[in-house]
Amino acid sequence: MSVTRQEVERIARLAELHVDDAALPVLTEQMSRILDYVSQIAAVPGTETVQPFTPGPAALRYRIDDVRPVPLALTPAQLAPAFRDGFFLVPRLGAFDATAGDGGDTE
Amino acid sequence: MTSIAETASTLAGAASLNALLTPLSEVTASLTEQAARAPAGPLAGMPVAVKDNICTLEYTTSCGSRILEGYRSPFEATAITRLKAAGALIAGKTNCDEFAMGSSTEHSAFGRTMHPTDPSRVPGGSSGGSAALVAAGAVPAALGSETGGSVRQPASFCGIVGIKPTYGRVSRYGLVAFGSSLDQIGVCGRTVSDAARVLAAISGRDPMDSTCEDRDPFQLPAPPENLQGFVIGIPKEYFPPDLDPGVRRACERVIRLLKDLGAAVRDVSLPHTAYAIPTYYIIAPAEASSNLARYDGVRYGPRFNGVPDVRALYQSTRGKGFGAEVRRRILVGTYVLSAGYYDAYYRRAQRMRALIAQDFRNVFDRGVDLLFTPSTPTPAFKAGEKTGDPVAMYLADIFTVTANLAGIPGLTLPIGRVDGLPIGGQLLAPAFLEDEMLEAAFTLERAVPGTDEV
Repeated sequence: MSVTRQEVERIARLAELHVDDAALPVLTEQMSRILDYVSQIAAVPGTETVQPFTPGPAALRYRIDDVRPVPLALTPAQLAPAFRDGFFLVPRLGAFDATAGDGGDTE
Repeated sequence: MTSIAETASTLAGAASLNALLTPLSEVTASLTEQAARAPAGPLAGMPVAVKDNICTLEYTTSCGSRILEGYRSPFEATAITRLKAAGALIAGKTNCDEFAMGSSTEHSAFGRTMHPTDPSRVPGGSSGGSAALVAAGAVPAALGSETGGSVRQPASFCGIVGIKPTYGRVSRYGLVAFGSSLDQIGVCGRTVSDAARVLAAISGRDPMDSTCEDRDPFQLPAPPENLQGFVIGIPKEYFPPDLDPGVRRACERVIRLLKDLGAAVRDVSLPHTAYAIPTYYIIAPAEASSNLARYDGVRYGPRFNGVPDVRALYQSTRGKGFGAEVRRRILVGTYVLSAGYYDAYYRRAQRMRALIAQDFRNVFDRGVDLLFTPSTPTPAFKAGEKTGDPVAMYLADIFTVTANLAGIPGLTLPIGRVDGLPIGGQLLAPAFLEDEMLEAAFTLERAVPGTDEV
């Protein structure tokens, strides 16, 4: 086995991916087979000096840096819990400390 | 031009394939609306179906995944804008392996797509829905996407034409990213002409995609009378001893025809071909693990609530929203990029990719114009045959993945059948020489009895 169950669990945490305990044995076995298979490129000698290759333009062109409206699927008013006159309504500063739990007034 | 009623009827006729994800009533209503404002153009009235990982305003874009189920993009892909500007009508979204990860269209959250000739078999993948719809005669052309052969492999399995353009020929803007250094939008077509016309319409520079080359739209070549003056290489690595005998017979018949048509045929070698699949299955999952980090239940699609904190929300949403193959590739990609393994896997794969690309340059620099190979090692396989063995599934792409790694164009066309199942032959060309590849394809299409048993 290239990878252990503990390594798969660690990688899953890095990837922010919940994996069921019941699925771990099969996943560990399949990941091991995949990693064993792809490891064969390590056996090819003389690759250390080769420059990596990426297709596409030699130099990337950047987009014009202008500010445009973002075409949101929902408007800010639809996204916000509370919205009035173009502003998001949030608890007053300090309201969290003073009235933990009741949310305080909004402005 | 095809009437909307006719398109609705042909799409309904292909319903049993589970190739079209958009409800037929929605497609018909949209086609009527699109037709009312479609301009005259080179594709006037042509219905074109679109793989579910290419953003459209008309329909949802779910990438065959629960994690994007019902997602409606606020913008459309440049390729879609250009299709509509050429007069084409977008005829719904097609089924695919989840986030284009797969070779059989079995890894879709919305069920598998059937092979149009034999429902017990797969249509290939990941653009299996697009290929199956075209092969069933439901639409003359469909867009797919290629990361490792996802247009050419299903096109070969289904007996149609599939084109993967040079990396940078077609804008990737609006194509949901999987492996950004490999991804290209490609075309499935009933004929070489149908596929080439669609490719011409969607190609060309795009300020919205910095990896798209600063070139004019591709111009269709005139079909030549014969192949005199062409030097066509036959790479020995693509004809291994265990190649399916039917595939070998069909390819040998094409090689004889190439000579009859006046081409000079040469044996050539691409010595690093054997390392293409291992290289691809390091680079593609690595890029996928990065690209798919954005699907966390906050910005896109459904979320799985009822968990104690935001981290658990991410993990739960991603764990439940992604299917098994996508989860596996995210984990492999995260592993090969993680501290301690980056040099051993990812950096080494990047160097191997350079050697694979150099193999092609060496052959093309020595006077070879095009390469001819089988498109796949076997005809379409049975559903379920490879789902338990990821490595066996990956090997279905062995003859297509090299073009994605090298960034060069490739085309598959039908070259015969074995026991009723289509076989595809592949042409590969140097970067941005799609015109030469298509000249040869036009000529071969006329000369090869693509539906004969071999």
